[in-house]
Amino acid sequence: MAALAGAALLTGLVFSHVEIHTDMTDFLPQGRSDAARLMLQELRSGVATSLVMLGIEGSPPDALARISRDVTNALDRSGQFAFVSNGADRLLGSAEQQLLFSHRYLLSSVTTPEAFTVPALHDDMQRLLRGLQSSAAPLVQQFGSADPPGAFLAIARDWRGISKMRSVHGVWFAPERDRALILARTHAGGLDIAGQDAVTAAIRQAFTDAEPGNARLLAIGPAIFAREAAHAMRSDVETLSIASVILAAALLLWRFRSPWMLGIIAVPVMLGIAAGALVVQLAFGFVHGVAVGFGMTMLGVTVDYPVLLVGHRKQGEAAPATLRRIGQAFTLSVITAALGLTGMLFSGFPGLSQLGCFSVVGVLVAASVTRWLLPRLIVAADLAPVAAEDPARLLRVERLRAWRVWGVGACAVAGAGLLAMGGPRLQSELAALSPVPSAALAVDAELRGELGAPDAMSIALVRNKDADSVLRAEEELLPVFDALIAQGVLGGVEIAARYLPSAATQLARRSDLPAPDVLATRVVMAQEGLPFREGTFRPFIDDVAASRTMAPLLASGIIGGLIAERLRPLIFQRGRDWYGVIAPSDLRQPERFAAAMRAAGATYLDVTAEANGIVAEYTNSAWRWVGLGALAALVAIAAGLREPRRVVRVVGAIAGAVLMTIAVLTAAGVRLSLIHIVSLQFVAGVGLDYALFFARRQLDVEERARTLRTLVTCNAMTLLTFGLLAVCRTPLLRQIGITVVIGALAAFVFAFLFAGQRPRATAEFA
Amino acid sequence: MAAESSTRRPEGAIDELMQMLARVPESSASFAEVKVIAMLTRPLHATGRLLYRRPAHLEKVTLEPQPERLVVDGNRLTLTEANETPRIIDLDAEPAIRALVDAIRGTLSGDLAALRRSYAVTMEGGVSDWRLTLTPSDPGVARLVTRTTIAGAGTALRLVQTTQANGDEIRMTIGPAP
Repeated sequence: MAALAGAALLTGLVFSHVEIHTDMTDFLPQGRSDAARLMLQELRSGVATSLVMLGIEGSPPDALARISRDVTNALDRSGQFAFVSNGADRLLGSAEQQLLFSHRYLLSSVTTPEAFTVPALHDDMQRLLRGLQSSAAPLVQQFGSADPPGAFLAIARDWRGISKMRSVHGVWFAPERDRALILARTHAGGLDIAGQDAVTAAIRQAFTDAEPGNARLLAIGPAIFAREAAHAMRSDVETLSIASVILAAALLLWRFRSPWMLGIIAVPVMLGIAAGALVVQLAFGFVHGVAVGFGMTMLGVTVDYPVLLVGHRKQGEAAPATLRRIGQAFTLSVITAALGLTGMLFSGFPGLSQLGCFSVVGVLVAASVTRWLLPRLIVAADLAPVAAEDPARLLRVERLRAWRVWGVGACAVAGAGLLAMGGPRLQSELAALSPVPSAALAVDAELRGELGAPDAMSIALVRNKDADSVLRAEEELLPVFDALIAQGVLGGVEIAARYLPSAATQLARRSDLPAPDVLATRVVMAQEGLPFREGTFRPFIDDVAASRTMAPLLASGIIGGLIAERLRPLIFQRGRDWYGVIAPSDLRQPERFAAAMRAAGATYLDVTAEANGIVAEYTNSAWRWVGLGALAALVAIAAGLREPRRVVRVVGAIAGAVLMTIAVLTAAGVRLSLIHIVSLQFVAGVGLDYALFFARRQLDVEERARTLRTLVTCNAMTLLTFGLLAVCRTPLLRQIGITVVIGALAAFVFAFLFAGQRPRATAEFA
Repeated sequence: MAAESSTRRPEGAIDELMQMLARVPESSASFAEVKVIAMLTRPLHATGRLLYRRPAHLEKVTLEPQPERLVVDGNRLTLTEANETPRIIDLDAEPAIRALVDAIRGTLSGDLAALRRSYAVTMEGGVSDWRLTLTPSDPGVARLVTRTTIAGAGTALRLVQTTQANGDEIRMTIGPAP
């Protein structure tokens, strides 16, 4: 009891002191180039991760518009958002519109020396008059006297940009369906789980308060995904842990008839986890959440250790006697399992290294606790399996080993089948590691498309020492884009310089503006013969005069609002450098775009391919290292057993189980990923226990019966717990569950058939 | 007549008028428009034809001095000027234009609810000689339009006069189809 409390206390203490990271950046390897590293970093934790997209649907348009307004106002008031818009501000809010309007002659390409000559102005005024004559007069009148050349309208056209949204009852709607859209950006970063919890609560509250009736809310965004995935996984894990603890407890109680058994199992497992986390913290400086999660899966092996010990104890026996019988197999099993896991330690994949470290330490510590601490506790609690039953039954069971050849046959079939299928297929897509269900990703893509939010997976990057140099570099590329667009290589580009010219360009335009008295004279001359009242164009003359001394609008001068939202993903500082993103739309010939960008000195990046390339590279290397680990384990087995026939039998059982699992998964169309590497390591670990215990020499019938029943108990526990995983919602956990269930079952069957003694001898004497 | 109708509840008269208008499936007329715009030294004149078809189709074809065709169908306004490519405007995105369209189309279709979406509506006179005054209730519309007056006799419109917030005035006189 004290030991249990102590172990729990120690585990709690360790976990309250280690630093747990959940950022996938820390788990995955870095990119292969600076640009790739940067983009992966941006994808995981950059501006994009604080984006929230809301869709409201399922009610008539007027109801949706009202809900959209109410929700937007509530979110704005919640203080959780840096930016919220539902389009009610008509794309540009009044403050932003004012900023663009006042800088129009610096920002717009309309500004040229010719634009301010008498003939040009006369044409502008005639156009204005025609506009006033037409039914569009209310629109024309708005800016007519302050901006006859139309600089502001040109800017507004650019800013309206690529979004395909409709405006219904004054708010954004999706182009092809009745769905109100809201775009927001949270103050909290995408990886700030507590902050995102508050954000999600604010969204739910705002929606409920808007009395939505039948309307549905779609909340999408990297941060919301991360949070929901974490929650779904947590609730899965909680439900399953409770269910599996109850099932395992029932099994153990039936088998050992003592509630203490549960405590005895908990002590080494908890201490193993605590030690693993502690060592990882010391070695890496932090512990990754994913490493702990997967690590605990692997440490499932250690649950078997106390069971093996207690299961082999005779009633009333002193501890050393039990240990003498199982000591060698136990030690060999632990050492081999630890060696097998060591491979991951050197994989170069930060997450896998942590996982390896965590698992190796956990296994060794749990085993040590089982070996040196538990025997006393077991004797004190007098734990032992219920008395053995009729040995004849064991013999009948053991006679099944006559079917050994069928086991070999099954393995051969699995191997041949695998070869026929072209070997196992490796999963190399980053998305496969994502815990987000693919249905949610589909909604994400849909909303992104509707909102015109950039999601370009093929992009080019320019880098320079400051924002303005980036804009200048982009301006030099503008003719290149125009040529590419003309050649049909792409439909258009999203680029910061389109919205915000460099300071140099703005200053050049400024110097093109005529002096106030010159312009005033020209306006009077241009007005000749037209029915405009004297002084009509005073605002124009004044604004041009003000523009002549106006400082250029810089990226740093645009804070908040839709303009900043549009610019932020396109131009940003990371480290000491500034980056400009060139995001093509409707890219028809990626390779030509790539070539043109490289030729122009920009870096071309296929983000999806890059990310998948990295994952593929490291997944392959992880498999190699796992293979090496297996080799080390093989050497250990060979050294420990010293008998080629037994080595072959033990190794054959494990290899058969792994082969069978891979073959079944491949036949089912599963691509093997990191998740399967982890699960197969676990399978190999339990398989080792089974095989080495079955393979012990010179056993009497009673001991063989104990071994069989103990291993059946171990296997049943594994199948129960991981079987539950196989039915849960989180795809990742389901994969682990399915793999382990197949593997553990195969491992048990093959260990029983191959590693155990042939029944012939006993059968003859019986 | 006038005394008789004034003793009735004003709602009764307006409902009667609207029901009358709502029964008209289609109508066409000619118009003469005068715009008095502050920045111009002289008013702008235009003439053309109007066509209405229940429930939501409205056409204003300007013939002189500058040919133009404005078609409203549901929420979509298409403006084709001379030889230029048509401009399509989503009425929901342009509340000012929507209010102008609602004033005329709402009246022609006898859709009091549509009128009241953007305006406070009062009526003077009886159904044979009436005058509706539309005062914007929506602050966004009120920033642009101060008042719209529509006058008519029975189901025939005679005058649509809009006073803009900046003081400009548009006066459209409507006569029988040419």
